[in-house]
Amino acid sequence: MTNKIIFNIIQVIVVMSLSPLVKGVNDRMKEWIQSRKGPSILQPYRDIYKLFHKDEVVSEHCSWIFRITPYLVFITPIFVTLLIPVLTDYPLFFAFMGDMLGGGFILALGGFFATLAAVDTGNPYGPIGASRTRMVGFLAEPVFMIVFFTVSFVAGSTIPYIVQKAWVTPLSNFFEPSHILVMLAFIMLIIAETGRIPVDNPSGHFELAMIDESKGLEYSGRGAALMKWGGCMKFFVLLCIFLNVLVTPWGLASENNIGAVLLAVPLVLIKILAFVIVLVIIESSLAKLRLFRITEFLGAAFITSVAAMIMYFF
Amino acid sequence: MTTATLTQLNALTGGLFLLCTFGIVAMRQVLGILKMFILQSIFLSISAFLLGYIHMSIHLFAVAALTLMVKPLLIPYLLKRMVGNEVTARREISQLVDIPSSLLIAVLLTILSYFIANHLLSNTTPIISKVNLPIGLACLLLGAYTIIVRQEAVAQTIGILTMENGAFFAGVSIAPDLPLIAEVAAAFDVLIIAIVMGLLARKIYEKVGITTVGEMNHLREVEKL
Amino acid sequence: MILIYILIIPIIASLLTVLPLGKRWPEGVSIISSLLVFLLSIKTAISASDGSVITAINGWISCDGLSALLLLLIGFVSLVSSIFSWGYMEKHLSQRQWRKKRRYYYRLALFVFSMLCVPVFSQIALVWVAVELTTLFSVFLVSFENTTDALEAAWKYVVLTCMGAALALIGILILYWGMRAVSSEPFTWTGLIHSSDTIAPSLLKTAFLFILVGFGTKVGLVPLHTWLPDAHSQAPSPVCVLLSGIETTTVLYVILRLIPVLGSSPSINAGNWFIAAGLVSVAVAAFLLIQVRDYKRLFAFSTVEHMGIIMVAAGIGTASARMGATYQILAHSITKSLCFFAAGALFIIAETREIGSVRGLIRTSPLTGASLLIGGLAIAGAPPFAVFLSEFSILKAGIEAGRYIPISLLLIFIITAFCAVMFHINSMVFGRPSNSKVTVQLPPSIILSLVIAVVPVLLFGIYVPVKLEHLLINAASVLGR
Repeated sequence: MTNKIIFNIIQVIVVMSLSPLVKGVNDRMKEWIQSRKGPSILQPYRDIYKLFHKDEVVSEHCSWIFRITPYLVFITPIFVTLLIPVLTDYPLFFAFMGDMLGGGFILALGGFFATLAAVDTGNPYGPIGASRTRMVGFLAEPVFMIVFFTVSFVAGSTIPYIVQKAWVTPLSNFFEPSHILVMLAFIMLIIAETGRIPVDNPSGHFELAMIDESKGLEYSGRGAALMKWGGCMKFFVLLCIFLNVLVTPWGLASENNIGAVLLAVPLVLIKILAFVIVLVIIESSLAKLRLFRITEFLGAAFITSVAAMIMYFF
Repeated sequence: MTTATLTQLNALTGGLFLLCTFGIVAMRQVLGILKMFILQSIFLSISAFLLGYIHMSIHLFAVAALTLMVKPLLIPYLLKRMVGNEVTARREISQLVDIPSSLLIAVLLTILSYFIANHLLSNTTPIISKVNLPIGLACLLLGAYTIIVRQEAVAQTIGILTMENGAFFAGVSIAPDLPLIAEVAAAFDVLIIAIVMGLLARKIYEKVGITTVGEMNHLREVEKL
Repeated sequence: MILIYILIIPIIASLLTVLPLGKRWPEGVSIISSLLVFLLSIKTAISASDGSVITAINGWISCDGLSALLLLLIGFVSLVSSIFSWGYMEKHLSQRQWRKKRRYYYRLALFVFSMLCVPVFSQIALVWVAVELTTLFSVFLVSFENTTDALEAAWKYVVLTCMGAALALIGILILYWGMRAVSSEPFTWTGLIHSSDTIAPSLLKTAFLFILVGFGTKVGLVPLHTWLPDAHSQAPSPVCVLLSGIETTTVLYVILRLIPVLGSSPSINAGNWFIAAGLVSVAVAAFLLIQVRDYKRLFAFSTVEHMGIIMVAAGIGTASARMGATYQILAHSITKSLCFFAAGALFIIAETREIGSVRGLIRTSPLTGASLLIGGLAIAGAPPFAVFLSEFSILKAGIEAGRYIPISLLLIFIITAFCAVMFHINSMVFGRPSNSKVTVQLPPSIILSLVIAVVPVLLFGIYVPVKLEHLLINAASVLGR
C-alpha cells in the first residue's frame, strides 16, 4: 500500500521533471533535421525557470477564469498521471479513480478552461485561436470516442491496465488489423491534439495562422510558465497512453519494488524519445494544412478508426 | 511460421489494403491517387502470397507475382507514359462531393459491404475468407464510388482498376484454385484496360483539351438550355 | 475442331489486315474471313440443331444450341457489317488515310473474335474475360470518328462497362466459391448446372445479382443504360450494327445462361428479378423513344427496349416463353442490323443525324427510304415481320402462364414504343423533301449489304427454315432445366 502511494508520487515526479526534456529533444531534433543547430535540449527548463522569476501582468478586464486557468492546465495532466500506467503495468494507489475515458475528460477540462481564458482577455487573437482549437477539438472528439470504444471492446474494459495486455497476449494479436489501424488513428489524433504539423505549427510566430499557441499569448510570468509546463506534461501523458497502453506495453515495471520502478524510468524515456523521432520525421516531411483541410485530416483519422472498429466486429 | 500468424498478417494486409482504398477516395491529387493504387496493389500481391503460403498453392504464387509485375509497376508506368505528366500531376478541383463527405459515404459503403459479406459467410468458412471477402467487396464499391464522384480521366481509370483489385482481393481467398489461365487472362485484361483507357484519355486530351471527362455531357436527349 | 477454326480465322484476319498489301487488301481480308466464319457457323448451327453438343476441347471450348444460335448471328451480322464497311470507308476516308483504314479492319476483326469467344467458351471465368475484351476491342471503334462526341461516348462506354464487368467478376467468383464448396466439377456451364441444387441459395442469389447488375450494364438494362445510346449512335454505322445488333445479345446470353443454374428455387426468385429488370428497361426506353432527336439514338433506345423484352420473356420461364425469347434474340439481331444499315446509308445521304432535318427520304433515295421503312416497321413489331411474331409469342406465353400484370404493362410499353418509332420513321421517310439536293449515289457494297440484310427480315416473319426452327427449339431448351 505505501509502496503504491510512493510509486504514484514517483510517476508524477517523473512526468513533471521529464516532460520539458521531451519537448526539448523534439525541438532540437526538428531543427537538426532541417540542417540547423537548434537550441539545447534543456532550453524548456531554462524557459520555465526564467518565466517563474518574471513579473506577471494580468489584464484588469479579465475575470477569475483567466487567473485560474494556468493552474488547471498544470494540474490536469498530473491527475491523469495518477490514473494511467506510466512506469508500472499494475494499478497504483489512485488508479481506481478513473478509466481512460475519465482521463480524457480531465485533459479536456484543462483544454476547456484554456479556451475560455483565451476569450476572456479581449485580445483579438485569443478568440481566433480558441475557436480554431474548438473546431479541431470537436472533429477529434468522435475519433477519440471510436478509438476508446474499439480498444475497450477488444479488452472488455476501459481500465488502461487491462487494455494494455489485450493487444499483446498472444503476441500475434499485435498484428491484428484493428490494432494497427487504431494506432494509426491515434497518431493522427496526437498530432491534432498537440498542435503539430500538418495541423498546426507550434513554432510559428504569426498570430493569424496560430491555432494552439495564440491562446496563451496573454500570459506572462508564472502563468506562462505553468501553461508551458502543463502543455509539455499533456504531451508526455498522451505519449504515455499511446505507447504504454496501445503500442508497446513493454519495459514497464511488473514487480512491486522500487528498483524495478526506477529501472522503468529510462526504458519508458527511451520509448518516448524513439517515438518523438517518428513524430519529428512526420512533422518535417509534411506541410501545414490550410485551416479548412484539417477536416480532411481528421476525417481520415475518423475513417481509420471506424475501419478498425468494423474490422474488429465482423 | 504458423498458420495463425500468417492469417493475422493477412488480416493486417487487408486492413492496410482497405486504408489505401480510402486513400484513393480521399486524395486530392491525381498523382496521390496513383500512389495509393500502387500501394494497394502491393498489398494485394502480399495477400495473394500469404494465402498461397497457407494453401501451398502455386496458383496463388503466380497470381502474386503477376500482380506485382503488372499493377504496381507496369500500369503506373504506362499510364504516366501515355497520358503524360501534365495530366497525372493535376489537382482534382472539380469533385462532385467534397472529401469529408466522401469519406463518410466511404465508411457507409464499407459497413454495407461487411453486411453483404456477413450474409454470405457461414460459420464454417475459413477465417481467411472472412477477412478478404468483405474488404474486397468494400474496395469494389469504393472503386465504383470513385468513378462516379471523380471527374478526372486518370482518376476514373484508377477507379476501374481499384474495382478489379477489390474483386481479385476477394477472389484470392474465395476462389484460390481458379484455373491459372483465367487468372493470367484476367491480369492481362487489366493491363489492356489501363492501356485502352490511357490511350483514350490521351486522345481526349489532344482533341478536346481537357481530361475532366466528367464535364463532357454533350450527348443527351434534351438540348441544354 | 470447327469451333477452333471459327476462333482462329478472325485472329489471322486481324494479323493479315495490318500487312500493307494493296489498296483493297484489308476489305478483302475482312469480307473473306467473315464469310468463312459465317459458313462455318452455319455448319455448326446445322450440326447443333439436332440437340447435340459440339465439343472442341473438353471443358474449355464447346457449343450447344444457344451458343450455336449466337455464333450464327455473330457470323451473319459481322459478314454484312464488313461488306457495309467497304462502302462506309470509301465515303468517309480519303485515299491517304489507308493507315487508319487498316487499323479499323484490324480492330473489327479482333472485336468479332472477342464476341465469338463468349458463346463457345465453357469456362465461366474465361467467358468473363471474353466479355471484357468485347468492350476493350470495340472502344476505339466507337471513337473511330474522333470527334468530341465520339470520344465522350467511347469514354462513357469503357468506364461504365468496365465497372459493370468488375461487379460481374465478383459475382462469378462468388459463384465459383459456392460451387467449390459442394462439388469438384469443372467450373463450366454444365458443371455449374449439375451442382446448382446443392449450392447455398444465399451465395447463388448474391452472385446472380452481381452478375445481373454487372453484365446488365453492358446489355443496357435501365438504369445502367446511359452509355448505350451514346456509344451506339456515335460509332460508325457498321460498328453500330455489331454493337447494337449482336454485342448486347452476346452479353445477355451470359445472363440467360444463369436461368437453369438458378432453377426455380423460391428463395432466389430469379424470374421476378428478370421481369422487373426487363419491364423497367422497356418502360424507360419506350418513353425515351418519344423524345429522341437523333435517328441512330432512336434505334439504340429500341435496342434497350428489345433487351428488356427478352429479359421479361426469360423471366416468365415457361417453355413457350423461352422459345419466344430465343426467337426474339434472332429477330432483334437481324432486324436491328437492317435498321442501322439503313441509318448508315441515310447518314451518307443526309450527312446529319437529326430526325428533324430529314424529310421525304422515299423520294430522294428510294432504296434507303424503303429499307428504313421496312427496318422501322420490323423493329417496332409490325405484323408480317419476325419481331412481331416473337413479341406476340412472348405475350401469348405470358398470358398462358398467368402473369397478367407484367404482360399488360409490357403490352402498353410495346405499343408506346411502336407509336414512337413509327412517328419518327414516318416523318423521315414521307413528306416533301426540304431541299432538292442532288441525290447521292450509294456505293454498291452498301446497297448489297442492305439487300442481304433485308432478306432474313422479310423471310423469317413468314417462314422459318426447319433447321433453324430446330436450332431455336434447342436453344430454348438450353434455357430450361
